[in-house]
Amino acid sequence: MTSQQKITDSPIDFAEDIIEDVKNSKDDGVLKCVQCGMCTSTCPAARHSDYNPRDIIERVLDGDVTIMEDENIWNCFYCYTCHSVCPVGNSVCEVNQILKQFAITNGIGYDKLYEYMGFADSYFTAAIGAIPEIFFEDIDRDVPGWWDFRQNLDEIRDELELDPPLMPSKEVINEVSKILTITGFKDKIDKIRESQEE
Amino acid sequence: MRDDLKVGVFLCECGGNIADIIDLDEVRKSLDVEFIGQFENLCSLNGRKIIRDAIFDHDLDRVVVAACSPISHEKTFQDYVKPLNPYLMDMANIREQCSWVHDDRKRATHKAITLINASIEKVKQSDAVDPIYCQTPKEVAVIGGGIAGMNAALSLAKQGTKVTIIEQSPSIGGHMAKIGKVFSPVKIAEECGMCLLNPILNELVWNENIEVLTNSKVIEAERRAGTYNLIVEQSPRYVDTEKCIACGKCAEVCEVEVPNDWNDNLSMRKAIYRPFGQSYPESYVIDMDNCSKCGDCFRTCNMKAIRLKGKPEKTLLQVGSIIVATGHKLFDMEKRPEYGYTRYADVITQSELGRITGVNGPTKGKLLKSNGEVPKRVVMIQCVGSRDEKPDGHRYCSKICCTVALKNANIIKHKYPDTDVLICYTDVRTPGMFEKYYKHTQENEVRFLRGRPGEVVKKGDNFIVRTEDTIKGEFVEIEADMVVLSTAMEPSLGTREIAEILNIGTTEDGFIKESHPKIKPVATDVQGIFVCGTAQDPKDITDSIMQATAAASKVSEYNYGGVEIEPFIAEIDNEKCTVCGDCISRCKYKSMSIQDDEIYIDPMSCTGCGKCLVGCKERAITVNGNVDEKIVATINGVLSKKREGERMILVFLDNIGYTAADNIGVNRLSYPESIHIIKVISVNRVSPRHIRYALENGADGIFIGEFPGDLMYDEVERKIEKVKECIAEMGQNSERVTFSKVYIPYFTGLARKLTDFDKKIVELNEAEL
Repeated sequence: MTSQQKITDSPIDFAEDIIEDVKNSKDDGVLKCVQCGMCTSTCPAARHSDYNPRDIIERVLDGDVTIMEDENIWNCFYCYTCHSVCPVGNSVCEVNQILKQFAITNGIGYDKLYEYMGFADSYFTAAIGAIPEIFFEDIDRDVPGWWDFRQNLDEIRDELELDPPLMPSKEVINEVSKILTITGFKDKIDKIRESQEE
Repeated sequence: MRDDLKVGVFLCECGGNIADIIDLDEVRKSLDVEFIGQFENLCSLNGRKIIRDAIFDHDLDRVVVAACSPISHEKTFQDYVKPLNPYLMDMANIREQCSWVHDDRKRATHKAITLINASIEKVKQSDAVDPIYCQTPKEVAVIGGGIAGMNAALSLAKQGTKVTIIEQSPSIGGHMAKIGKVFSPVKIAEECGMCLLNPILNELVWNENIEVLTNSKVIEAERRAGTYNLIVEQSPRYVDTEKCIACGKCAEVCEVEVPNDWNDNLSMRKAIYRPFGQSYPESYVIDMDNCSKCGDCFRTCNMKAIRLKGKPEKTLLQVGSIIVATGHKLFDMEKRPEYGYTRYADVITQSELGRITGVNGPTKGKLLKSNGEVPKRVVMIQCVGSRDEKPDGHRYCSKICCTVALKNANIIKHKYPDTDVLICYTDVRTPGMFEKYYKHTQENEVRFLRGRPGEVVKKGDNFIVRTEDTIKGEFVEIEADMVVLSTAMEPSLGTREIAEILNIGTTEDGFIKESHPKIKPVATDVQGIFVCGTAQDPKDITDSIMQATAAASKVSEYNYGGVEIEPFIAEIDNEKCTVCGDCISRCKYKSMSIQDDEIYIDPMSCTGCGKCLVGCKERAITVNGNVDEKIVATINGVLSKKREGERMILVFLDNIGYTAADNIGVNRLSYPESIHIIKVISVNRVSPRHIRYALENGADGIFIGEFPGDLMYDEVERKIEKVKECIAEMGQNSERVTFSKVYIPYFTGLARKLTDFDKKIVELNEAEL
């Protein structure tokens, strides 16, 4: 299929939007990409899925906004390897975060976020980020012995003569909840939950 | 006194170019001078007689020629005023900066009168001075004995110049001696590098004009009127080069074995050794850091050439010019641990591969892995340390690594067609004829993969090179049993050291900086010091030789032409000077130094910018030629012709700005008559005092223009900001002073800026009414 570039098209605008995003710490890094593929060669997500950081930048530079709808962007887990190896000082990792935010703003990817609601909830219940229960099975499969370890954490700490983990107090939890509510975090969570639980 | 001087004014009609717009009769009537005459074409040969006759007839002390720009004819009229001193003549530019930019006859005529009056006032402040003629000593030092330094030295020596090559290692030859094979893109064949180098080396050794100092380094340098005094320290060789016949018996008996750096440490050598078979001087040398001092060599040597005692010797070398050819080194692979260079013996650099495939190398030219087997697959990784913004990386392209990889891949393929060679690249850069060699390499079945590998890991007997095939968009793991890294070229330690010792500028990457990258590619920012080869930036052998011969040619310009210098340079009053050194640190042109407990100013590099004056607490510095008085007189000369309601803007420009302003006229653009351009040696000479004086005496605005490429630009920019603050404190509007960048080609921009500034002054004047 032939793709066309009309005289009025301005593919670079998409990259400009990303550069101007507050999350971008690399100035014009994205524009300097020469598609060398060093990011992909070291990316764990690329090794285990169809996620391809180099391709992300290529599509951004092409002005291909459909990248936001690409399921693959949700496979990056922010190890920042691409960020540290990029020879031209770009960060696909940051670009990815910005793209995800664009997606969410455009109502895309709520189903992906829904899986993480457990994280969000834990901020309200404990004022810290805790691993959601729905991931326990996966983690135990990937990290043998993890479930046993978690079950017996208190005893292990005891044996090692470590104090029980320090948890935020009731007042802290209330305060954090209040902040999250006032800043609109709670509204967002509710919105995502509603969209998936209809 | 100066007011009594007899001034003659010569008005040139310029065949109508001036007279059609400017009413010269009116001009003659308005000026009160000893003599004023009007002529059709003053620059023609009979102009000489007209001017000379008038000087004699009227006993003139000073001459003003009101004609075209001094850029066109200053030299002509300096000659025509003989026997008057050339500096007692000044030109009023009433063509490029008056008749060609204005079309209102009346206003143009008044402006011409103003400009001529300014010249009259200025020339009264002139004194007779003579140009300074400098002749530099002809002797030349070439620092670095690689292919660039050798060629520069040979070229000069063949032109009859005495040259000393100062080489820090025990032999000249440099990187080219160990490179193995070289190739030229047109021949599409690899040739023996040593066979090409050797004739040059021999020619150099036999040339009587060349002296070679090995084991030597420049440790100190000072300059005086184009003479450089270099202190050269020569480390002992511990072997008498006059007696040694290089038989090698000493090395046979020596029991100390150390890695052979000439072979990139891939083989061993003895503590007494000869760097390589064709090394010069043709003599052994003792590596005293590793010598056990057993005395076996001493006892074996039939020639009694060994001297176990020795101290470094310092000698003074006086030269007129220096060529820096201190070369490069290769990127340190410890900085890229992901490629495993320090962990695995079979991850090597292209330089090491060059040694391995070289017949005089550690394996006598056989491509062997550390276990003695021929590799089945060699993967080459390009851009290691080049085009790399990561810490310790270099943002530039090292220029030669693509072709080096192609060359080494071809050499492998010729001898070992069964070995698979894969080059992982980001871009293959083979400009010009090198592209043919790239095609030739593809025909030799060398494979290419577009992708920059992320890491090299060991898996069983083999390596895994992890990369993305970016054309397929696929992550691949390539098995290889030898990995070759194409490492970046970076400035050698010697290059960094010599830059500091000679006080020459370097680029952000540490290479020696040319005084202009486009049009002065071999000059440095210090007069009389030139650069060539990889000390200046990454380049190949051919480019190094070209730059070397260019540098030699530039030295010859000095040697045969001498240098005539405008006399308006700084001078020190040694009675007042306390040698505090403030001026030395201020001088951007590096023209000041301490010699024999006095400040010495090198006339060749001083521009008369006057920056040194500012910090001199003892007021011990003056700049010849009454520059200050001339500026004040010019300001007075302009402002004294100001009429009721007339706007006057003074524009100070140096040579570059002035040429740009001339171009406005040459291209018949225009700007308001209020603009009065004053040419100065350096806009730095326009002091806050001048600006204040002009504003207090009727100037409506001050415009200062400076070429951003001038070394003084930042200085002037800062100064203007201060002046503005100080103007504001005085209760004047600081917007009446402006500073602007000027470039010769952007004369339209300058015309617009001048016009805009005039508009602004109109607004300010109206607002203040």
